[in-house]
Amino acid sequence: MRGVIKGVLAEELENSLRMQKDYESALHKLPQGCLVRKSIHGHEYYYIVKRQGKHIGYLYQGKSSPDDIKKYKEAKDLRAKYRNALSKLKKQIKFLKGALRGKEPI
Amino acid sequence: MEKSQYNLCIQIFKKFEQAGVLSQLILIGSWCVVFYEDYFKNSTALRNFALRTRDVDFLIENPAKMRVNVNIPDLLKDMGFVVSYSGRQGYMKLSHTDLILEFLVPEKGRGVDGPVDLPGLGMNAVALRYLNFLTENTIQIKVEDFIITLPHPANFALHKLIIGQRRIKQDKAAKDMDAAVCVLKTLIANNQLTLIHDVFNKAPVKWQKKIIEGLKLTGDRELTLQIIKF
Repeated sequence: MRGVIKGVLAEELENSLRMQKDYESALHKLPQGCLVRKSIHGHEYYYIVKRQGKHIGYLYQGKSSPDDIKKYKEAKDLRAKYRNALSKLKKQIKFLKGALRGKEPI
Repeated sequence: MEKSQYNLCIQIFKKFEQAGVLSQLILIGSWCVVFYEDYFKNSTALRNFALRTRDVDFLIENPAKMRVNVNIPDLLKDMGFVVSYSGRQGYMKLSHTDLILEFLVPEKGRGVDGPVDLPGLGMNAVALRYLNFLTENTIQIKVEDFIITLPHPANFALHKLIIGQRRIKQDKAAKDMDAAVCVLKTLIANNQLTLIHDVFNKAPVKWQKKIIEGLKLTGDRELTLQIIKF
């Protein structure tokens, strides 16, 4: 039988691996790109800035609704949180895999 | 325990309190031990029992009686929680790098196949046996500026002795037994042995037998004798 500590660590590794998939999926579901405002001849227009291969593309949106602006703002905040979480999870997974490699039944 | 985990747990309680949900939830699982430290005041034995996973379990005594309409995944979204589904039947969990939240309900009658819907919370729950043992006797603890409900430590410990025998994974069973022994010893050290006896006597005979079997499995002869000798 593996020890209690290793049991807890194995459960946590399983959780971290599942969470990694969940965060990747949540990140994928967020609207891509970032909404930016440009002022042209005194009029304000919105563009979605997103990477298209090697280039950064500006997709014209016209006069965006407050809902769209809010949606992209929330997506930007969540994207930062999810990316931060993924980075943390990768470190956790590396640590847990290392800790479980030992043969002692702790 | 990492301070960030504790702080996140407190933030969740605050959110639940503001949404009017906290009073209808009972915190169960290994995270109870953290708050039992407050109940026992300066218990070093409990402080040293730091082995717990990220799982924070909330028990809902009677989901049909819940009168709230709060979408928990939306409520915790800005804290970085994502919804995850486990098992083929899709049990919902709310995951964060530091904590994983899950909702449980007592299983009654013939039992249910699959998760129990909690439409008022936008979640589903896992139905498990013996959970009503935890709802029968609860305590309330003041944490910061709100109150959380926990099972009484005696119920918590005796429940762990029962469910420890139902675990498939032996290491999880050993963890349950360790937690039970730790809390029981703390209760005895705080002169609450009669309270353990009361809880034991109120349990159905079948459950009492399971508790005795669990005590024997702990291998702690002195503790076993103290609890079953009355």
